[in-house]
Parts: sequence; C-alpha cells; structure tokens
Amino acid sequence: MKRRVVLVDDHTLFLAGVRAELGDAVEIVGEAGSVAEAVPLIKEVDPDVVLLDVHLPDGSGDAVINAVADDRPGVRFLALSVSDAAEDVIAVIRAGARGYVTKTISGEDLAAAIERVASGDAVFSPRLAGFVLDAFRAGDRIGPDEALDELTPREREVLQLIARGYMYKEIAARLHLSVKTIESHVSSVLRKLQLSTRHELTRWATQHRLV
Amino acid sequence: MRFPAFARSADERVVAGVCAGIAEALAVDVTLVRLVFALLALAGGAGILLYLALWAHASSERRTLTALLVIGAGALLLHAVGLSTRSVAGIALVAVGFAVAWRSGGSFRRDAPLSYGGLALAAGGAVLLLQGGEPTGAVLAPGAIAGALLLVAGPWLWRLALERDAERAARIRSEERSEMAARVHDSVLQTLALIQRHAQEPRRVASLARRQERELRGWLYEEQPLDDDEASLFAALSTAAADVEELHGVRVELAHAGDGPVDAPARALVLAAREAMTNAAKFAGVEEIDVYLEATDDGISVFVRDRGAGFDRAAVPADRRGLAESIEQRLARAGGRATITSAPGQGTEVELTLARSSA
Repeated sequence: MKRRVVLVDDHTLFLAGVRAELGDAVEIVGEAGSVAEAVPLIKEVDPDVVLLDVHLPDGSGDAVINAVADDRPGVRFLALSVSDAAEDVIAVIRAGARGYVTKTISGEDLAAAIERVASGDAVFSPRLAGFVLDAFRAGDRIGPDEALDELTPREREVLQLIARGYMYKEIAARLHLSVKTIESHVSSVLRKLQLSTRHELTRWATQHRLV
Repeated sequence: MRFPAFARSADERVVAGVCAGIAEALAVDVTLVRLVFALLALAGGAGILLYLALWAHASSERRTLTALLVIGAGALLLHAVGLSTRSVAGIALVAVGFAVAWRSGGSFRRDAPLSYGGLALAAGGAVLLLQGGEPTGAVLAPGAIAGALLLVAGPWLWRLALERDAERAARIRSEERSEMAARVHDSVLQTLALIQRHAQEPRRVASLARRQERELRGWLYEEQPLDDDEASLFAALSTAAADVEELHGVRVELAHAGDGPVDAPARALVLAAREAMTNAAKFAGVEEIDVYLEATDDGISVFVRDRGAGFDRAAVPADRRGLAESIEQRLARAGGRATITSAPGQGTEVELTLARSSA
C-alpha cells in the first residue's frame, strides 16, 4: 500500500519538484504552505508521513508537530530543510520529527526515507549524523541521566558511517550486522536526541522554547 | 496604579450615594468618608463642589464638567486655607491650562499635537502667581514654575527621544540593507548573470547554483565570510568541495562533526582531500561524493567516499596510482596518514587522518 503523505512547504516551486520526483512512489493527500494551514489539514487527512519544511512563513516546523502530536500520535514527521543551522534541525527533531534530510536529496532517496519513517524508523542525513556526533562528543556530559546523555560505541560507529555517506545496508554489511539492527541503533540515537539533557541539545532547544 | 472602580451606591444613599460609593470602592467606613466631605464642605464649600464633581463623574462620565468642578473645589479649598484670591486664581488657571493641554493631546504619543491654548492658560496662571508678591504666592511660585516647565517640556522631550530612537533604528536598518545589497550583488547577482549566460549547459548551471548556495549558506548560517577559506577547517573544505563541484559537475555532500583552525598540516589535509574528491569526480563515474570531516581533541579525519566504479590497487593504470600516491605522500609529509579502500564495483573511500599533537 502506498504511503499517504502531506507536504508542508511554502515554496511552490519546490513542492512541484517534490511532487514530480516522488511520482507514484507515494500518495500525496494534501499540501500546505504555513503552520496555520498545515495543522487542520494534517488533523483532517491523518496521513502516514508529513514532509515538513523547517522554516514556514508563520513559524517553524516544530510548531506544526507540537500542535498535531496529541491529536494524531500516529502521524510521523520527516523534516526537510535547506538550512544547515544545527539549532533548527535539532529543534524539529526534539519536537518529535523522526528524521531530517536536506532538500538536495534525490527523489529516489526521498521515497526511501519516507518509507523508512512511515515504518517507524529514523532517517539521518550525513549532516545530521555529523551534528549528533558533535553534540554527543565524549567528555562534556552534564545531564543526570547517563544512559540518555551518551552514545554507545556502536551507535557512534553507525552514526560515523552515516556521516561518511554509507547507506543502512552498506553499514550492515561493513559491521556484519543486520539492517534491522542498524535501524534500531539509529532509532535509539533518535530517542536520545529527543530526550537527552545534554547541554548542547538543551541550549538549542531553549532557543526555540521547546523546554 | 489603577483608580479603584467607583459607582454611586443606591442602597446607602443619603443624597446621591457618592459617599457610600467611595466607601465601598476604598473599603472604608462610610461615616468616615462623610466626615471628610463635611469638613471639606466647611472649607469654603469645597466639599460640596467635590461631591458634585464625583456625582457628575459617576452618573454621566462628563469629563469636562467633572474636571471643572474638581478645579473649583480645589480653588475653594485653597482659598479656605488662606491663599489670596489672586494666588488661587493663578493656580486654578495653571490647573485648567494643563488639563486642557493634556486632554487635547500633550500625551506621550508621537503624533499628538501640542495644545497651545492650554499652555497659554497655564502660562497666564503662572504669571498671575509670580506677580502676586505675597508670601504664599512667593512660596508657591517657584514650585509652580518648575512643575509648569516639567509638564510643558516633558512630553516634548519625550517625543524628541522617541524620534531620535526611531531615526537610529531606521539608520541601522538602512545600513544592514545596504550591506545585504552589497553581498547579494557581489555573489548572487553575479551568479544569476552567469547562469543566464550558460543556460545551455545544464551541468555548469547546476554547479554554479550549488556553489552559490554553499556560499550564501555559509554566510547566513555559519557566519563565515564569503570566500574566506582560511576561517576554519570546515570552511576550507567547503571551498575545496565547491571548486571540485564546479570543475567536474559533481555534487559533494559535506558533513562535519567539530571544526578546527587551518594550520600547515591541516592545509595539507585539505589539499589531499581535494585531490581525493577530484579523483572520485574524474574516475568513479558518479554524480555524488560524500565528504565527512571529524575534528576531535585527538585528531582530524576526513573521509571522501564515492559509490562508483572502484578499482583494484594492484591493477590500476600508472597515472591513477600516481594520484593515489600523491595523496598518501602529501599526508605523510604533514605527519598524517592516508588509507585508500577500494574494490572494483564497490566504490572508493579515502580516509585522511592527522593527529592533533602534530600541529
């Protein structure tokens, strides 16, 4: 069954491009160009995945997630951005997005990312993996919950390979693990990213008034 | 501070319920309020006028009538405590003048006009006071003049300050705008012109757009000066990546964790990375190259990876081996190490490492 997808982005040219590139891979059930349009739309059509631009004219992407999450817990969000600013990306991830990809992603990779997010896994672009490794760098942990504030050596290894441009199945082959295991490592990193009290993360989140 | 809400009391009224209303609003005994009004009434009838003023205020919100009655009450009171008619008239004039001036716009809004009529009345009152020449007048006069000056000049000074702030904000905005315009002109407009000229060459257009995007992004989000590749390791690597993109029409996906200064060994590392990217662009037959920079306290690593043709190191043509060797030698001279991993059909990854202590 095709995944039902809502696109939220205020750049009509970009929307048209995504629509054309995704083609028949997914079913696009709605489009919105602002937070105010997106929230009622998502509540109404209840899609599998929302492709969410980090910056919208009337607010940032995390505003959409915060407004929808309680009513529609099944909707998954994939952040899509041209911005490289760590605080923007970390803010949507901490609000609950299950992944982040840049707008230069190919249609094929985007469709794969949507599928992965829809089935409950996480999607990290190389760039996001780099951010996360940076934010969780060993040594400067301050939070009280060690398990949430540190990456395991294996998670670090997986993230590093993602940052180096490896795909999940390439990582699995290299580390002699199953793709499922790689996915669970990435999901675990996503959970830490959302719940950790590490200084770098809370600083970014505070700037966006998420905590 | 808000004035307590006041309404005439219908239950406790003796005349019009004003005293009871005040007692209710202030939560004091009504008898006390009545006593105060009685005493004021003895002072030349001031209490009676004040009572009427509050009555007018409560029943119809007639502000002018209320104000006039209050001023009248005040005048009667002053007269009763011994001021001469002349002084009282002066003070009353000043009060009326200010009431008019403030009412008709001497407020803190920038666009409100000054009321010259009101100010003239106040000034007349002040003159009257000054010329009184009697002890009470002499005591009151300096205070009255200071107050008058403050009230007249205050709103005007306030307005000046507001205007100056607005001017400064506008100047800062316009400076920002012209800096932005200069940046956009130097970079974006030039690129757009180039794109128009090369509209028939999709690869060139793509790489121009990509380079511009990288520059603009560096400026907007990372606060890196445009084209300053000495600012940091990541900036230097970005520039190298942009050059390779432009020259060879590939896309370089750049990620990083940590950053560092560009010293001599780091510069060698960036050059080696650039060669690795060029190699991948020329021989791998792919459109995208992944580059990852990791800078920690221990050292710096750069990974250059493609999913292209790959090669068998033992069986590569001499020219290609030369390139690979030059990468390795360059790193070795800088005190680092290059590892090239490749197999036919498996893509290639070049790992460049530099220990931090060597810097």
